[in-house]
Amino acid sequence: MGRRIGLIVVMVAGISLLVWAGVHNARERHLDMQKTNDAKAALVPEKPGDADGPAQPKLVGKMAPAFTLVDLDGKKVSLADFKGKPVFVNFWATWCEPCKLEMPWIEDFHKKYEAQGLVILGISTDDGSKDLVAKTAKKLGVTYPILLKNDKIEDAYGLEYMPQSFYVDKTGKVLIATAGITDGQGGKDGIEANIKKLLAESAQ
Amino acid sequence: MRGLILVGAMLVTQLGQLDAPVKAPKHRVTFVAEPQSVAAGKKGVLELKFKVDDGFHVNSHTPKSELQIPTAVTLGVSDGVKTTAAEYPAGKEYSFSFDPSEKLDVYSDYFVVKVPVVATAGSHELKGELKYQACDKAACYPPRTLPVDVVFLAK
Repeated sequence: MGRRIGLIVVMVAGISLLVWAGVHNARERHLDMQKTNDAKAALVPEKPGDADGPAQPKLVGKMAPAFTLVDLDGKKVSLADFKGKPVFVNFWATWCEPCKLEMPWIEDFHKKYEAQGLVILGISTDDGSKDLVAKTAKKLGVTYPILLKNDKIEDAYGLEYMPQSFYVDKTGKVLIATAGITDGQGGKDGIEANIKKLLAESAQ
Repeated sequence: MRGLILVGAMLVTQLGQLDAPVKAPKHRVTFVAEPQSVAAGKKGVLELKFKVDDGFHVNSHTPKSELQIPTAVTLGVSDGVKTTAAEYPAGKEYSFSFDPSEKLDVYSDYFVVKVPVVATAGSHELKGELKYQACDKAACYPPRTLPVDVVFLAK
């Protein structure tokens, strides 16, 4: 009886080992395939530079992912705080030159359209110090709220590069999304045109 | 019987992981590993060649702004190998089309980092990493760390 049980245990262990090895090999192949695909992708670079259309079509027309972040004073700010108002959410980073070019434009629009109810939130995606973010925003003349990212927001908004902007209407839906800075929707005139669309939509 | 159920559960768990997404950061720079050799026991130089994806650039080792993240190589230690500070190439001037007045100092296409080395005779491997931050003509990508594996012969 004991011998029989021993035989069963050995058989089960052997089969398990074989299946385990198969699973392991399959996973390795899966990883290799992914590496190969990544390498192929690198040969044909994605061109956010050409992405002067919506950056995140998946989000356009959908509810903007909710967030609660802290501003430079440590105060909690939620997207939900602004329900009923048009919100322009701009993601940036201190190491991103295109971001720092457009932020003074965005500040101009903040002053120009604040009275019409436009809310602008700048969200820093820096991993570094808050002081550096604050110093950079100040140097750029930004007075609209600057919030600091958390672990979830980049995935929630599908951020792979900077800058990216989301125009959120008064119901909380993403009306327009843009990526990079180009002569199209991401340029200064494009940003203003999008803000006007957002305000018009929200006035209805 | 319990054992069989346990083994079955383990297999199901493992099979379930097959389709789990494997997250890997997308790199815009590739390490071009080339066979290298140096004279054993004498000062030599290892050349670490990198390829920046077409249409992209990375900051040089000495960017013009303190806010820009410099490209930098760090190598680990290995028995019989002594390295000193890496030497970086000069960058090229670059401006985004939308801001021609802002001059940046960047690497694009290929760049080579030279690492002075003294090694004992034999085959050696140095593991390290390249830190960089890439942009294309309109957007910038978060800082990345590329693993680097330098294999060379000292003879």
